[in-house]
Amino acid sequence: MALTIALAGNPNCGKTTLFNALTGARHHVGNWPGVTVERRSGTFEHEGSTLEVVDLPGTYSLSARSEDERVASQYLASPEVDLVLNVLDASNLERNLYLSTQLLELGKPVAFVLNMVDDAESRGIRIDVPALEILLGGPVLPTVGNREQGITELKALLSAMARGESNRCRRITVDYGHDIEGELRLLEAEICRDERLEAAMPPRWLALQLLENNAEAKRQVAESHASEAIGQQLSKSFAFLEPHLGADGATLVAERRYGFAHGLVKEVATAADDKATPTSRLDAILTHRVLGIPIFIAVLILTYSLSFVLGKIPQDWISEGFKALASFAGSRLPAGELTSLLVDGVIPGVSAVIVFVPVIMILMGCIAFLEDTGYMARAAFIMDRLMHLMGLHGKSFIPLIMGSGCNVPAIQAARTIESRQDRLITMLVTPLVSCSARLQVYIVIAGTFFTPLWAAVVIIAMHFLGLALAVLMGRLLRSALFSGPSTPFVMELPPYRLPVLKATLIHMWEKGSVFLTRAGTTIFAGATLVWFLSRYPGIANRQWTLEYQQQRSAVVALSLPAAEAEERLRALQLAHESRIVNTSLAARLGQKVEPLLRPILDPERKRPEAWKDVIALTAGFVAKEIVVSTMAVIHQASEEPKPGELLSPLQVALRDGSGLSPLTALAFMVFTLIYTPCLGTIAMIRREAGSWGWAAFTVAYGLVLGWGMAWITVVAGRWLGFA
Amino acid sequence: MTQNLPIPLSLLQPGDQGEVVQVYAQGPVRQRLLEMGFIRGALLRVEKLAPLGDPMELVIKGYHLSLRRDESSCILVKPVA
Repeated sequence: MALTIALAGNPNCGKTTLFNALTGARHHVGNWPGVTVERRSGTFEHEGSTLEVVDLPGTYSLSARSEDERVASQYLASPEVDLVLNVLDASNLERNLYLSTQLLELGKPVAFVLNMVDDAESRGIRIDVPALEILLGGPVLPTVGNREQGITELKALLSAMARGESNRCRRITVDYGHDIEGELRLLEAEICRDERLEAAMPPRWLALQLLENNAEAKRQVAESHASEAIGQQLSKSFAFLEPHLGADGATLVAERRYGFAHGLVKEVATAADDKATPTSRLDAILTHRVLGIPIFIAVLILTYSLSFVLGKIPQDWISEGFKALASFAGSRLPAGELTSLLVDGVIPGVSAVIVFVPVIMILMGCIAFLEDTGYMARAAFIMDRLMHLMGLHGKSFIPLIMGSGCNVPAIQAARTIESRQDRLITMLVTPLVSCSARLQVYIVIAGTFFTPLWAAVVIIAMHFLGLALAVLMGRLLRSALFSGPSTPFVMELPPYRLPVLKATLIHMWEKGSVFLTRAGTTIFAGATLVWFLSRYPGIANRQWTLEYQQQRSAVVALSLPAAEAEERLRALQLAHESRIVNTSLAARLGQKVEPLLRPILDPERKRPEAWKDVIALTAGFVAKEIVVSTMAVIHQASEEPKPGELLSPLQVALRDGSGLSPLTALAFMVFTLIYTPCLGTIAMIRREAGSWGWAAFTVAYGLVLGWGMAWITVVAGRWLGFA
Repeated sequence: MTQNLPIPLSLLQPGDQGEVVQVYAQGPVRQRLLEMGFIRGALLRVEKLAPLGDPMELVIKGYHLSLRRDESSCILVKPVA
């Protein structure tokens, strides 16, 4: 029989490190059903018995208001849990014990781990463990999680308790005083009228939550046939307690709990020294009035360079490797549908997935490092004023800035934001931040239609437009979607700690592999679909394939010098692809939607071929940089400049043959910036927001907003006299 | 005598100490503040303001916490010399 241990504790109490120390590599990361909270579970063996450990999200209480708290309190009350392990931060005992007072009400055996005793001792806090055991009514084990001290003893204790061989547990609960206890008993009696309610959780625990005015508890009661009787008793209790004790139920309960915690700490622990801690010395610099912001910017630049400059190196290897593989396969296999599926569909699709992995791993490693050291909370503290003005949370700043490198890991980085509302808004607006893939599109187009100086101005303006729109949409989404009260910004600034390298590495590995398994399939499927749209039906046209092969053989038969032959072969290939792409389903789609796009891409009605842009935009859905390579195919012109020439053949073709004017080129760039996030970003939004709905919403609002902004560009430009 | 009249926490300056008298906030904010230790009689000390003037950092129950002015103005404290 496998026994299940739930690991509960405050945020920053070292719970996850302890979890890693207990389970080692034998753990699994998933999601709690229906929510986006990560669920980690693992097993360990002790003397032949296997125990399952489930790491609950770190919470300050079980009042079930945030997603994290709801998950924790529901799981703890479920019969699945045999034993609760409460991790306590020894250097911050009083506040940590608040959660313990709730855990003790659950009616399950509770064991305690006194973590970070070394931290506490360095602050002069000495804790009398035997006295603590007596007062808490359960075994207490001191550990130092990140040095794996006390883990063997902990395993032995847990397996003995799980087998029921330990008699160190007594039931202890907070004494809420004569008046409240009396009302609790009356409420319990009413609750016990409904057997189902009585069986779901200890009646006293439910009664306490009712006194606290807990919405989740009220909802549970409302479903019961005894709801009326319970409601009446609750009103009577409030009517008695509030005037009698001078405060509402929630305050009274919280006061008694803190009273218990305070008394306990006074009994078992010595007070902390008043001397300056390393944390306060570091904070004197890191959150300094003047130095705080420059230091934060330096940290940002470092993180950005590590992820996107260093991370670009393996990224380039991967994409070069796949390109070489594709051209190798293309040159060896006979031209046709299957080859095209492999060369233009599957290989670029797999490449589009794997190429993200190095950046994701490095950025997530950096973020985990910032988070585990405690600097992330300081960064939010420093930036919150600015972000609050924008309707966002202090912790939204880092994902937004990282979005300019790549949106995909930026959306994953939004995980650090605790409140679901703030996290969701950050994820929904991050795609508006212009990423490095879109930069490649701007460079080609702005370089074609503007002088170098103006091209630079335009490219920078694109980035600012993206940021400005992100801010604007943030405010708009907040007021439109989440009209309720915003989540309070009550954020702990935990002591600085040196992170454990092993934990950071495990975290990086998890993020990379989760991306490959969860988002990878979506990206791959999407890439194959786009291949289909942009190649069919032409790719299946045997006549065309035959003609192409004959032309190739004719060139080969001429026995020209190698360089010239290669150039002519490449021109043939481009012509063949162009023929296929320009008659593809995407091209037909372009012709269908052309009237819609005319106001932004062809306001003068001088571009009969404006529909071809749609092919490039459709292909760009896989990854924005593909817009450029698709344009090269559409216009039958290489994107590589010839030696000694400023513009590439593609740019010359765009300038002379596409009919775009500087103004419509600008509108095209604006539209490319906004119209839809790339597949990788969409797959990531789906995964992180937990539903296809939000991913679809991002695409839809992007298309509308992109059209609107491009239209404004055209109208304003024409009004100012540009053509 | 004036120094012992309760004032909103947001009016305390860095370095000032106070004793919580009452939490005015309602709903989820109230519950969150209560469980973070803002109960009657709790002592706190304002540590500093963020470089942009908001939020504030304070010490309560021996740990450091950051609060926006929106929340700190809902907490009534009695300044303690």
